[in-house]
Amino acid sequence: MTYKVTEEGDASTVFLDGEIDMDKTEGAKEVIFPLIDAGKNVNLNLSNVQYMDSSGISVLIESHQKALEKGTKLIIKDVSKSVLKVIMMAKLEQILNLE
Amino acid sequence: MSTEVADTTNLSEKKDFLVNSSSLKDVRSFSREVFEKFKINEELREELVLAIAEAAQNIVKHAYKDYPDTQDRMAVRISCTDKELEISFFDKGKPVEKSKVKHRAIDDVKPGGLGTFFIQEIMDSIKFKEGDKPWINNLVLTKKL
Repeated sequence: MTYKVTEEGDASTVFLDGEIDMDKTEGAKEVIFPLIDAGKNVNLNLSNVQYMDSSGISVLIESHQKALEKGTKLIIKDVSKSVLKVIMMAKLEQILNLE
Repeated sequence: MSTEVADTTNLSEKKDFLVNSSSLKDVRSFSREVFEKFKINEELREELVLAIAEAAQNIVKHAYKDYPDTQDRMAVRISCTDKELEISFFDKGKPVEKSKVKHRAIDDVKPGGLGTFFIQEIMDSIKFKEGDKPWINNLVLTKKL
């Protein structure tokens, strides 16, 4: 997994790519959590993430809940078809902010 | 190490992996290669890969919870007839306590507890067996084709 972060106003956009599994979740958290802790709204662009397992889904839930606690917003953008299927299997499409 | 047994009606492939989270990508690669060879349709293939990866992850996370630096190996065997797919996992970790294997309530949204739910959603049956020596655990997942 690699990532890129861009900044625009009070929002940061994190671009993740590759396959997000148990081995990659700590890396993803290390990028996302400090931005939320700093009070930023975070756009998480998943257009180049082809695979995500339950560990990756846990990162989405944890990030979403952390943003709610901090009064910011996590928006998950451009989800690939394969990852959307997993999000829907977890019945999270109405819980997470998907765009 | 990978072994293959094939005839016209029954295909089977088995491979072993180091019990470590870094092996999960190799488990997925192996599974994708086998399903391509078995001509499983692409949509079902990715669901099955997820179920297999979740089961392998459970071995790393639970059966070897106290042994993160283990050098033990786990094995995955994928067998296919024209009617059914059987996926077996073998490990030498802590014996599975069947009563403790459950997913979280799906409407209780919190991190964790989804791997077993995904396996149940994707597969038709899940059976925990005692493994034949040298294995301790043998998980068998099946899916009708």
